[in-house]
Amino acid sequence: MVVDDDQDLAEMLSIVLTGAGMEVDLVNRGDQVMDLFNTHTPDLILLDVMLPGIDGIEVCKLIREKSMVPIVMLTAKGDTQDVVLGLEAGADDYMVKPFKPQELVARINTRLRRVAKVGTLGICDLVIDQMEHKVIKNGKEIALTRLEFDLLAALAKEPGRVFTREALLSEVWGYQHAADTRLVNVHVQRLRSKIESDADNPEYVLTVRGVGYKAGAAKV
Amino acid sequence: MFLSKIKIRQSLSLKVLLTSLAFSIIIAAVIGISVHNRVATTIINEKIAISKVETANALYLAQGHFNIARFQDDSGLNKVVQDFITSSREDGSLSGRETVILPFAKSGNEQSIYQTVPTLLVLDSIPKSFREQVREADEVLDKRVTIRYSDGKKFPGFLIGGKLNIPRTGVYEIYYLFKLDAQYQSISVITWTLFVAGLLLVLLIGLSTQFVIKQVVSPVQQAAAVAEKFTQGDLTSRMSVSSEDELASLGNSFNEMAVSIQQQIVRLENLSMLQQRFVSDVSHELRTPLTTLRMAAEVIYEQKGNFDTNIARSSELLINQIDRFELLLSDLLEVSRFDAEAAALGVVNFDISNLVKKTVDYLHPSKSALFEVSIPDEPIEIEGDPRRIERILRNLISNAVDHGEGKKVQIQIKTSENEVAIGVRDYGLGFNEEDAPYLFDRFWRADPSRARTSGGTGLGLSIALEDAKLHQGQLLAWGKPHQGAHFVLTLPKLHGNSVQSFPIALEPDDLISTANKI
Repeated sequence: MVVDDDQDLAEMLSIVLTGAGMEVDLVNRGDQVMDLFNTHTPDLILLDVMLPGIDGIEVCKLIREKSMVPIVMLTAKGDTQDVVLGLEAGADDYMVKPFKPQELVARINTRLRRVAKVGTLGICDLVIDQMEHKVIKNGKEIALTRLEFDLLAALAKEPGRVFTREALLSEVWGYQHAADTRLVNVHVQRLRSKIESDADNPEYVLTVRGVGYKAGAAKV
Repeated sequence: MFLSKIKIRQSLSLKVLLTSLAFSIIIAAVIGISVHNRVATTIINEKIAISKVETANALYLAQGHFNIARFQDDSGLNKVVQDFITSSREDGSLSGRETVILPFAKSGNEQSIYQTVPTLLVLDSIPKSFREQVREADEVLDKRVTIRYSDGKKFPGFLIGGKLNIPRTGVYEIYYLFKLDAQYQSISVITWTLFVAGLLLVLLIGLSTQFVIKQVVSPVQQAAAVAEKFTQGDLTSRMSVSSEDELASLGNSFNEMAVSIQQQIVRLENLSMLQQRFVSDVSHELRTPLTTLRMAAEVIYEQKGNFDTNIARSSELLINQIDRFELLLSDLLEVSRFDAEAAALGVVNFDISNLVKKTVDYLHPSKSALFEVSIPDEPIEIEGDPRRIERILRNLISNAVDHGEGKKVQIQIKTSENEVAIGVRDYGLGFNEEDAPYLFDRFWRADPSRARTSGGTGLGLSIALEDAKLHQGQLLAWGKPHQGAHFVLTLPKLHGNSVQSFPIALEPDDLISTANKI
């Protein structure tokens, strides 16, 4: 699903994405997103920040209440509060206009990629079932977005390794060059708020000052 | 002394106070002294005049008595004379008057029988010259003298001298010596009174001056204080005006001036904010159509194999120009951020020599043969924003390659205790001395007719300079036509410090050899 108020850009996006073998639904207004979302559940949403009706950030929050579908924000202002607000509202990634179509397609594919991962990972008492794409804590399943799951799985796969933010960006988001490390920070915060008992004293996702993050002591 | 002079120069109120005090002291002194002199002379002259008249009368009366007594016998005459002498002396004990009766010098033995001199009086108190005058005159004479006693006491006083003819014994000189100490005492009382009055007057004048000064100067001082605040940026500070006099009108005009300045400044601030907002908005608004344009161009470009050569080439050019447009837009946005002072430093600790190596490798992999890089082996840790420093380096190195005419480009790093310097030297076109001030100007080009080789935006050096300034660093340029250019970036190693020394000299040391070659 592509949500953008600029008709020409939306059409152009649909041409490019259709060319890449995807099916595209176009929405021009923020307040029409949820109607279409309920009828045509998309695999991924491209969401412009500035929208008539309700803005992209609100839309993002509304979608997150219902679904863990990947969301990529499109923004003209890469340096402003918009990005952080969007990420905190639940977006998985963002693209700063103008972007190259190949880059967009690559980024979308990374988000849609469902790599056949086998086996079960664990951090402390957290069970990460890669087959079922489930995280279980104390016998209860925790709902995570696909990105959050990938982030957690990446850390759990190599217990003890300290991942720099750049390494996580390339592993989880598929960035080749160092990009915005805020992406990592915001998502680690969101992940913690879901899985940790106390987000201020994390036991699963630990911060290594000045370097990056690592998983807590593994228990298989 | 010198210090107090400075103080007086600095304080208006002190100056006015001292001036008014000096004037009042002079006036009080002049008036006091002249009044004192006038009063003193009057008192003494009056005393002398009265005494003179009284003495003249007394002598006239005595002479009358003597003239009548000449018809009596000797003892009768003697008694009249003795009575006179006694009464003169008694008078003297009351009024502080001494009586001296002396015979004319030329007279015979008998004449001395009535001679009277007070026991302690020194007869020299009556000057000889005065005695001569008295002997020759027909009237009573007076003279100011000092009355001396043999026990050493001295009194200011005056003499009145006359003649008495005592029948059968001859002519006598008679002198009355009046002491003036009582008069001088009252004069000294007057002196003190005048002195104290003068002192009080000066004090009063001083106090009233102080009061007046306070009324006049305090608004002036307030105005100065408010102006000071205003200068420091507090545009809301105003003078308090409570009365309706001239000083109040000073305050009112001052406040009006302040209001008008404040309005002007706010207006200009708004204008410049509006302009910056406009640039930023335009940059952002251009992004959406540019995205569409780029995607459309890419779609066409991917199909270029199906088109004839002209269209295929056109699609290439389209893509290149969109790239440049995008670069320009992001540079423009960066400049507007600098103008709005919204650019923020993301300060971290990092190894700058590694950053330089990475930048050189990343920037021109195809031209690596061109570069001569001399970097110390050990890492150089500094505090700064690596993204911005990398951008400066990219700008300097691209610039050197663009203007280097294919000759070598030297890049070196040197450090001092607190600074690190990066020099980028090329041996290309260089630039004229008169161009130097414009190098860092936006969109400035050394030679407008020269073809662009790089597609640089013309904002690169300007942004590099702003980035250097954000780090409190210095970015300096040296250049000579056809001898190349040398750009030196000097940064403090610790964030917040400023550059104190320059590890790399701006003027390149290889200049002499280069100059010899030419």
